[in-house]
Amino acid sequence: MIAAATARQVPSYCYQCVAGPDLLTVRVEDGVALAVEPNFCAEGHHPGAGRVCVKAYGLVQKTYNPHRVLTPMKRTNPKKGRDQEPGFVPISWDEALGLVADKLNAIRAAGLLDASGYPKLAASFGGGGTPQSYMGTFPAFLAAWGPVDMGFGSGQGVKCFHSEHLYGELWHRAFTVSPDTPSCRYVISLGSNTEASGGVVGVKRHADARARGLRRVQVEPHLSVTGACSAEWVPIRPKTDAAFLYALIHVLLHEQPRARLDLAFLAERTASPYLVGAHGYYLRDPATGKPLIWDRRREAAVAYDAPGAEPALEGRFSAAAIEIGADGERLAEGVLAGETSFSKLVAHLAPATPEWAAAICDVPAATLRRIADEFLAQACVGETVEIDGAVLPFRPVAVTLGKTVNNGWGGYECCWARTVAVALVGALEVPGGTLGTTVRLNRPMSDRIGSVKPGVDGFMDYPFNPTDHEHWSPRPNIRNAYRSLVPLAANGPWSQALGPTHLAWMFLDGTPKGLPEVTFPELWFLYRTNPAISFWDTAALADKMARFPFIVAFAYTRDESNHMADILLPECTDLEGLQLIRVGGTKYVEQFWDEEGFALRQPAVAARGEARDFTDIATELARRTGLLAPYNAAINRGATGVPLKTERYDFSLDPAIPHGRDAIWDAACRAASAELTDGAASDGLDWWKAHGFRTRPFPRSDWYLYPALARQGLRFELPYQERLYRIGQELGRRLHEHGMSWWDSQLAEYQALPAWKDFPALWEKSLVQMGGAPRDFPFWLVTARSMQYAWGGNAGIQLMHEVARNVAGHGGVVVNATVAERLGIAEGDLVEIRTPRRATRGRAVLRQGIRPDTLLMIGQFDHWVMPFARGLGVPSMNGLVPLSLELTDATGSGADLVRVGLARVGERT
Amino acid sequence: MTRWVMVADLRRCVGCQTCTAACKQANATPPGVQWRRVLDLEEGTYPDVRRAFVPVGCMHCDEPPCLDVCPSTATRRRDDGIVTIDYDLCIGCSYCAVACPYQARHRTDRATFAYGAAPSRAEAQRFDEGRLAVATKCTFCVDRIDAGRARGLTPGVDPEATPACVNSCIAGALHFGDIEDTASNVSRLIAENRHFRMHEALGTGPGFYYLWD
Repeated sequence: MIAAATARQVPSYCYQCVAGPDLLTVRVEDGVALAVEPNFCAEGHHPGAGRVCVKAYGLVQKTYNPHRVLTPMKRTNPKKGRDQEPGFVPISWDEALGLVADKLNAIRAAGLLDASGYPKLAASFGGGGTPQSYMGTFPAFLAAWGPVDMGFGSGQGVKCFHSEHLYGELWHRAFTVSPDTPSCRYVISLGSNTEASGGVVGVKRHADARARGLRRVQVEPHLSVTGACSAEWVPIRPKTDAAFLYALIHVLLHEQPRARLDLAFLAERTASPYLVGAHGYYLRDPATGKPLIWDRRREAAVAYDAPGAEPALEGRFSAAAIEIGADGERLAEGVLAGETSFSKLVAHLAPATPEWAAAICDVPAATLRRIADEFLAQACVGETVEIDGAVLPFRPVAVTLGKTVNNGWGGYECCWARTVAVALVGALEVPGGTLGTTVRLNRPMSDRIGSVKPGVDGFMDYPFNPTDHEHWSPRPNIRNAYRSLVPLAANGPWSQALGPTHLAWMFLDGTPKGLPEVTFPELWFLYRTNPAISFWDTAALADKMARFPFIVAFAYTRDESNHMADILLPECTDLEGLQLIRVGGTKYVEQFWDEEGFALRQPAVAARGEARDFTDIATELARRTGLLAPYNAAINRGATGVPLKTERYDFSLDPAIPHGRDAIWDAACRAASAELTDGAASDGLDWWKAHGFRTRPFPRSDWYLYPALARQGLRFELPYQERLYRIGQELGRRLHEHGMSWWDSQLAEYQALPAWKDFPALWEKSLVQMGGAPRDFPFWLVTARSMQYAWGGNAGIQLMHEVARNVAGHGGVVVNATVAERLGIAEGDLVEIRTPRRATRGRAVLRQGIRPDTLLMIGQFDHWVMPFARGLGVPSMNGLVPLSLELTDATGSGADLVRVGLARVGERT
Repeated sequence: MTRWVMVADLRRCVGCQTCTAACKQANATPPGVQWRRVLDLEEGTYPDVRRAFVPVGCMHCDEPPCLDVCPSTATRRRDDGIVTIDYDLCIGCSYCAVACPYQARHRTDRATFAYGAAPSRAEAQRFDEGRLAVATKCTFCVDRIDAGRARGLTPGVDPEATPACVNSCIAGALHFGDIEDTASNVSRLIAENRHFRMHEALGTGPGFYYLWD
């Protein structure tokens, strides 16, 4: 026990993974941080009751890790590479910032873009946007700078919930998707690993829900920690989840009475009644261009928004209409026959019987049918509930998807089928049902409900990148070409990192026809990211990184990516720095609050060594590059997360002079106080340091999108994807007009009703292209989330390593025990996991809870530089997975999946 | 009378090891020593497999086998059920570690730290040489309980009087309280739920209850 007499408890936050932020306190004695503890003052405010997960307990070791970089360093060995010792030597901050500023000033003097039109400055941050909660005012510096290429990925944007991010935002403002866990009764989870990735709030909400009687069916190739906490585990063959979902929909549509579906929801809140013409586009009113529906009352086709219409959900009808295709082409006009979108859906999934899916998924048809029946039985179609005085539909069923299910090939199909399945019973964006969490592509990012604005054809607006003749361009703004290739990626602050971020890496060694030659950025900032470990084909990636001419890494310890750096800058870590961030409202992954506000991260202890607060680094860089005015202006506009000047208050900073860290965040604190109190309060930094957080109520009704759509008379853009189909056609034309045919297989994804494709075969084909035969590489290698390590940033933290070892699989590769016995592999044996190109080794962990055709590597931590981590001897799949255009889907995503062989190479040691 | 017990709701536990880490930090245990940890167990054969997470540690038994074998009287049992070790009396013979059917006892002979031979500032500040070459184990955070009670706080209710593992539990799986108080949280949980104690047949009377379906 810690003696309380000399201790002080410092409130702060942890945002090491996207499931946060969570609130904590730090026990400090004699200026030394000794322990992380919950923030019990937040118990009635934070949906995780003021707790933090295991990761936060590593922050004390993180602070005092003897391997920290504690002074600025510069590289002395001009050669870069894995085999090159960088020869880092300590330098002063003045020299370090001078070297960086000189490079930046040289870039500014010569022009911000290179001959290809790409930004000369690049920056990469890891962790799904969480580094921004630790980088102080650096975003203001980047905003002041101008064009920056933030599209060199470290896994984000590709190895994430990528299809879910893009299609989810299109369909229901769902950057990620969550059950309405507090009132949900039945969840079908295809690989959604909530108990590992849902954070404190996710774990608590689901534990509460289980105690209440929530039944969760976990469908995944291995029995994850989430599967362990579920009512049922259904071991499915990897990458066949779309077939599972198609069969689920088939049962709903073809084996159950139509009246059991939420027909009113489908007719009024979806595009199910819209008539589709012979060419696959909506039939439209010749005068207004609006999509037509068949009005049963008038016995006539009318515009979708005709007052008093009673839409026919099913059937074929003829009407005076036009059919408009890509680029505004009028494909047909006159009296045209059309079929409702819903009828097309019914026909589309008629062949997708449970028996059909059983053969693909290796899941019995009876199981599929039973799950579909249970789902429907629990949907409570017709029931309502009162929320904040409004009566809303109550549909307590959800379908959730996990990584590798909702990204890469098949991701579109899974996301579409999931969303359609819940829409069929009206369980989309209503209490109890399947909800989006937050927005990152739509605006404003801080107001998901406010992002619901009318768009075309009765749907929500969506900021597609243009595909028309006039606005589409083969000259992308950054190297991963998201604006030219991925219309769904939009063009907001997050879009660069949500593009096909592996393409930037791939194209460095060969730009495909039609794009400007992909170049190396002249200066690359790295922070809280380690692509040389966390991406795919990591050996090749490290080699490319070695060719970057000038890398500036904000460095906590040495690691595999900053091994190639020219300058290392030590910034204050989690318990040393100062920053105010927004909390509350609805956030991914399961952060649904009844309050919203701000939380402060403050120096619990003095910075070690010469570590400097990120805000002070950013300010000094702005000063040395002559950007102080636009930098301060960006801060005043809200780069700290809150505008410093509005109509209600003004705490703005003098743009002409540099401001210290405390002055900047004091102004932010005052602005936050004013925002939360409608101008009544203006408490500054001292108040926030004492209290840690401040909130105001957030209405529960704002968890749900349905009311916002109903208020505006809008519909969810389901089930028929006419707009995506058109955009795909247009994108294909633009690319072909410029001789670009290398994206053709991706263009095939733009289907109005996505068909099942043999997705596993794509990976088998890739294996053959690598020179292997499927029979020699019979295993599907998958990965799973580790709560303890998060994405690997904690791999150098001894405490995390120690406690993670209590969770099966962290120490090696998980193999089905029966299969292992057949192969002569015993627990702890050294095994080799190989593709035709590469191999890795690790210890065998034998479990029954994994399919015989599947291997699992939880860890992605085969570090070779990072102190402590480099000695773990844990295998990683990242070195085995190829960077491949063939395995890139239309959203620019891939999947953590590869076919491998397995062999015993040594005994247990 | 008071009898402090721990309750673990296995239906809620997700095996995250937050309690393990919180315990290690609260009690400054050296690397590899986990007074609280969560087992990751598997039962059955593919595809009929169940996986469960089971928090374990010292069970603070009614009849502690560790106490019976202790030659130095270092191990004692308080009237409130907490089994203690007097490090000044312990001779480090480890009989107790052998006798404990729950593998709850540890002995560390040399000072070890997270990153090699030298302690970090935090480790140096917490280092207690008296814990070397003696038996150690979960104390139910007895200092916390006693200090809290002295201030009129209720263990298991008020965080400052509650074991660190319980405070930290993000799933609400761990509970602590007085089983002799019929109105306590633990009494209610035990009365209302199916439960078991580990190795009940050994007759040790563990003060650690598991709730399950």
